Formats: sequence, structure tokens, C-alpha cells
Amino acid sequence: MTIPSAARCYPGRILSVTLPAAPGGTPVTVGGQNALPLVPEGDRPHRAAVGMEVGTGVCEPPPSLARAVENREKDPVSFAKACVEEWGAQFLFLSLSGCHPDGGGQTVSLGARILREVLTAVPCPVIVGGCGEEEIDAKLFPAVAEAAPRPVFLSYADEKNYRLVGGAAMAYGHGVVSWSPIDINMAKQINLLLSDIGVPAGRILIDPLTGGLGYGLEYTFSIVERIRLAGLGGDGMLALPVLCHLGDAWKAREAVEVSEPSWGDVVVRGRRWEEATGWACLAAGADLLVCRHPENVAAFRGMAWR
Amino acid sequence: MALTALEIYKLLPKTNCKDCGFPTCLAFAMQLAGGKEKIEKCEHASEEAKQTLGAASAPPLPKVLVGTGDRTVTLGDEVVLFRHEKTFYHPTAIAVSVSDALSEETLRERVRGISALSFERVGQALSVDLVAVRCESGDPARFAAAAASALATGGKPLLLVGPCAVLEAAVGVAGTSRPLLCPPPEETGNGARLAASGKLPLVVRARGIEGLAKALAIARTAGATDLVADPMSADALQAVADSVFIRRLAITHRAREIAYPTAFDLGQGFPQPFAAACLLVSKYGSLLVLDTADPAEIFPILTLRQNLFTDPQRPIQVEPGIYPIGKVTPSSPVLVTTNFSLTYFTVRSDVESAKTPAYLLIAECDGMSVLTAWAAGKFTAESIARILTESGIAEQVGHRTLILPGMVARLSGKIEELAPWRVLVGPQESSALPSYLRRLPPAAFAAAHG
Repeated sequence: MTIPSAARCYPGRILSVTLPAAPGGTPVTVGGQNALPLVPEGDRPHRAAVGMEVGTGVCEPPPSLARAVENREKDPVSFAKACVEEWGAQFLFLSLSGCHPDGGGQTVSLGARILREVLTAVPCPVIVGGCGEEEIDAKLFPAVAEAAPRPVFLSYADEKNYRLVGGAAMAYGHGVVSWSPIDINMAKQINLLLSDIGVPAGRILIDPLTGGLGYGLEYTFSIVERIRLAGLGGDGMLALPVLCHLGDAWKAREAVEVSEPSWGDVVVRGRRWEEATGWACLAAGADLLVCRHPENVAAFRGMAWR
Repeated sequence: MALTALEIYKLLPKTNCKDCGFPTCLAFAMQLAGGKEKIEKCEHASEEAKQTLGAASAPPLPKVLVGTGDRTVTLGDEVVLFRHEKTFYHPTAIAVSVSDALSEETLRERVRGISALSFERVGQALSVDLVAVRCESGDPARFAAAAASALATGGKPLLLVGPCAVLEAAVGVAGTSRPLLCPPPEETGNGARLAASGKLPLVVRARGIEGLAKALAIARTAGATDLVADPMSADALQAVADSVFIRRLAITHRAREIAYPTAFDLGQGFPQPFAAACLLVSKYGSLLVLDTADPAEIFPILTLRQNLFTDPQRPIQVEPGIYPIGKVTPSSPVLVTTNFSLTYFTVRSDVESAKTPAYLLIAECDGMSVLTAWAAGKFTAESIARILTESGIAEQVGHRTLILPGMVARLSGKIEELAPWRVLVGPQESSALPSYLRRLPPAAFAAAHG
């Protein structure tokens, strides 16, 4: 009896995107595949990349996570070094959350200075995140785009600010993370808008908004599957690598609650909560994961990817 | 392959007699194509039509039942490869193992521990589905006693893992509970005969998809009908690749010889069992056997399963009512939103991160988000005024100030007309709630006078 091969061929291919590094660092290249994740079909020149999130300003990780990062998250520069040198992060997501009035109210120039210091301290690729406050980000993105001594990715461009973020990125040779709220049409729209103002597709990553385990992860799972199927189906504006933030997993009560003994040890549970979120994102098609727990960097990188 | 509505229409009498309850034969054909009706509803259909449609509508992946009564576990019976195409119907079953080498008391304790793996989320109870009894003693009497004890203590359906000689002994004591038999790969034929004689479901194990197809044929020849396929994958990535290919062969290629629910034994030294479990829940595993009974690992796996097996067309809803967040007092702010679970959880987590205790009122909106529910006429000034008076929130707070989602700001005037409450228009996006709440003057929620 002969069983037909279940491997499929797709008309499209995901574009390769490189996150550049400084001399001495290793650039991260993702995408390039014409295959669905985890199955032996087509070819897949690059593995999924695993990074870590570095915050600025007021950082209050849940206690079990704070212990895992040895309470070193307070100083972004030394924390960035630990993420890369000790915990194996291939890239960093530097969230300039400290510039938010509720996150410490740091000035835009302080945010830019922290970015410069991090970029000097570690040679790995860096994605810079805004603070989430529209008016401040409108000043922050141009400032960090100018201050960065080497190419980074700016996160994120959405429906409202794509001109500003895309423009800042183009002026200084950076890449852009395009963000949409679990909406495939919007994801395509932002990429089209960025292309229209001249951002090359090879410098765009898709952030589809990642819900944590138990809190909307299924919507992210399906939207990432749909984006990937559309990209492999030949839709160039969706044939781009997908980035998933696992940080939302730590907002789940189930991940951090200490007073529920029947839920098991919170130290194990919190880490597993983030890890389960990450495996589901990888199964759906994510190309880049941003973790907060050092051991999960090892778990995702340690898989014997073929 | 599934037939299209037009192909089905050609097989129908085309008389539009309405006896099936639909206005036209084409309308009925569309229902058949969608799998929502059965051809039997048409009394006038020809035998040929019934046969053609019967074969086409047979599920691409057969259904296998394990256990009896309300604890019955259903494996397989899926129709799509991606949940957004329709939905997944039968969640990945999780079995946790016990060894028959344990002393009687230790075994009972372990089974009680497995039964205790039960968690409540969004109004649903999540629990482990089966107890897997592994034969490590080699002793038929001991294995049978362990199976009987696991069944009596846990009440869950059993997966019996061991050579045919011990399985036979266990079937003698636990056969009426419809256990799933799992003999070693070299005993497929004998195992299939045992399963056939007791009309029991059987796991067929063989390495790789080709080998599995051969072993499944042996089991069918021996008379076993309810089969589950275990490709004996060596690691997590092999397992997920096998799982995806078997499911694709079933759904896309209709390759009946391999179209069975799948089982993966992630115990006994399987590398990275947690990762493998998450990947297989994400990608089509029908049954997973785990050696761990640690709630810190089982809870996230069961939650992932709950997420992915939610019907994407029917979102999980939250019970309407009052949800206090944090240490609320009579002067805590009151917010209102809809009962779409994602809306609720988003707003809840944003209020939590504001660290401002607050009451969240959830209105009945058929599980729609704020804007959708407003557009559908479910989240209206009338329904919000009703929940303000009927929920009893007025007895819990001293003030009469409601924070309305910014998306439906236009409702504020009408709400104030209908209920003795003042309305503050909150932010458009829930993510802005933390700073919004922190900037609210406390005077806004001082006790109402007069």
C-alpha cells in the first residue's frame, strides 16, 4: 500500500528579513520559508528566533519572574547584557515604557540615551518599542531613530502613526514592526501603507497582537495561521515574518497567583504559562518570540529544530 | 471529497416539494453541503442519491469512543485542518499514567491526585480525561487489580498499556467500562483480536506513517474497528510532523487507510514532554499520555486546549453581573462593558493593572464586543440602564457615576435620561484605562446626596 505524501507546495514564500547586529554580534534572519511551521515540507532556511524583553522605568515583574531574572531588571543596560550573554537571547526588545507618565515619566532624551547605552553594551539586534502614549511616542520615535548609532527596528507602526514611524525608520535606515489588533485585513493594510510611503518589505515584521494563554491566545493562534496561509498563498503584503510577544502570559492571574495551592508551584506554573503561549505561537507560524523568562529562551532555542 | 451544494442539488428530485421543510431543493442542498442536515429528510431522494451523499458525508476522520456514560471521551471526528475554517469539535484527550508496580495504597493516592487535577476557567471545568495504567509488573493479576482500582478510585475511562496477556486479564475486570487497549507494536494482531472480541477501542502502534498504515490494516483484518493510531514518534518535532501529516491525509487526501485519531505517549522518558504536549494540542493530537501529574504543568496544557477548541464562531461568554476587581469600597468606580469573554478579560486586566479597585458591570450582549454589540442593538442605553437597576450595583456603591466605554460615548445622554446615574465617557481603548482611572478625581465617586 502506498500512502501519498502529505507535504504541500505553496505558490508563495515568506520574505527573509534580517535584523542587523553590530560588529561582533550575530544578525538574526527569519522568514524565507515556503512551508507551514513544524512540518517537513518545502524549505526553511532559518529557524524561529528567540529574544527577550528589556523594560525601562518602573519594572514590576511578578515575584516568580523577578526571581528568575535575579532582580536585575531594574537597570536596562546590565539587564540587556544578562539577557544576551547569560540567557541566550538572540535579539532584544527594548521597551521604552519608562517614557510613559505611568511608567516613570522619563524624558524622550533619556529614552534615547538608554537606547544608545544598550546598543553600545550589546552587539545583538534590537527592536525598540514605544511607550504606548500617542503624543509621547510621536516625539520618541523620531528621537530614537536619530539617536540609534546602528540600524534597529521600531515598534510599532499602526494605522494612526505609520507615517511617523515609517518615515523615521526610512530616514535613518531602520526597520519597522507593523502592528494590528488581531485583524488580518488591518495587518495587510498597514503593510500596504508602509510600502506606499517607501518602507521596503524586507524591513517589515508583523506584530499581530499576542494574547496570553487563557486570555485570547486562540485569536492570535488563528490570525497567525491565516496570515501565514495568505502569505504562502501568494499575498506579498502578508508574506512577512511574524513576531509574537509572550509578555501577556504574565498578566494572567493563573500565571502569578500564589494563594492557589491546587494550581501547583507558582514558580513552575508561571514559566510554563509563558512557555505554552510560545509553543502555540510557534505552531501557528510565529518567526520571532519575545520572552520574559530566561529558561524559556533556552526551551525554545533548545528544541532540535530541523 | 465533500460535495458542493450544486453537485448535491443535481442528485435531488428538484421538485421543490418542501416536504423536507426547506422552500426549495437548492436550499436543502445548501444545508446538506454545510453538514447541517441529513439526506434522510428528503423522502423522495433516490437510492443512488442516498448512497452518494452517505459516502461523501462520512466523516473524514472516524470517531472513536472511550469509556461509558457521561465520562465518555470522544477521539477524532474532525472535519477541518484549521480552526478558522469551521471549528475543532473534540478536544485533545489527556491521560495521566499510573504504574501497576505501585503498592495498592500509593496507586490509589496517585489516581486521587489525577482526579484532583481539575480547574475552573470562564465557567468551564477543565480536567484530565483518562487514567493510563501502565504494566510494569508483567503480572496479569496485578495489572487487572491495578486497572480495577484505578477505575473505582478515579471513575475516569482507562487506557490500558501492556502486553496482550495482561490486557486480557484487565479486560476481564474492567472491560465493561470500555477501556482503550494499547498493546505493544509487536502484538498488533493479538491485541486487535482481543479488542474485536470485547468490541473495545484499540491503539495501534508502529513507527512512521507507512508502518502505521500496515499495522492498521493488520488490526482491521483481525476484526478491530475502533482504532487509534500511534506513530511512536521519537521526539516533539517528529510527533508534530506525524500528527500534521496524518490529519492532512485524513482531511485533504481522504486516505482512509491512515485516517484515524492519533495517540502519543509522552511519558517514559520522552524528551521535552511539556513542549510536545503544547505542540500536539495545537496541532491535531487526539490523545496524549503524560507521566506528570503536576498541576503547574497540567493546568497550562488544559488551558491551551480550552483556548484552541473554543468554537471561533461562538465566543465564550462571561456571566452578566457585577465583578468586583481588587479591594472595592462603596466609593470605587463602576465601569460597564459587554459579556464577550475577550472584552471582559481585557478590561479586567487593564483595571487590575491600574491598581484602582473598581466594579465591572457585565451586560448580556450575546458574547459580542462593545462596538459589535452596539451595532447589533444589544449594548444600548436601555440595556445599560436595565443592568444599573437590576444588578443591585446601587446597593454596593454610594455614588451614582458610571464609566462608559468611549466607543459608545453617544449613549451617555440617553442613559442619564433612563437611570438616575451620571455617565463619564471612558477611553476608546481599554488599554488607556490604567491612566484614565488613576487620573479620575476621587470626588467623582463620592457618595451621592439627596
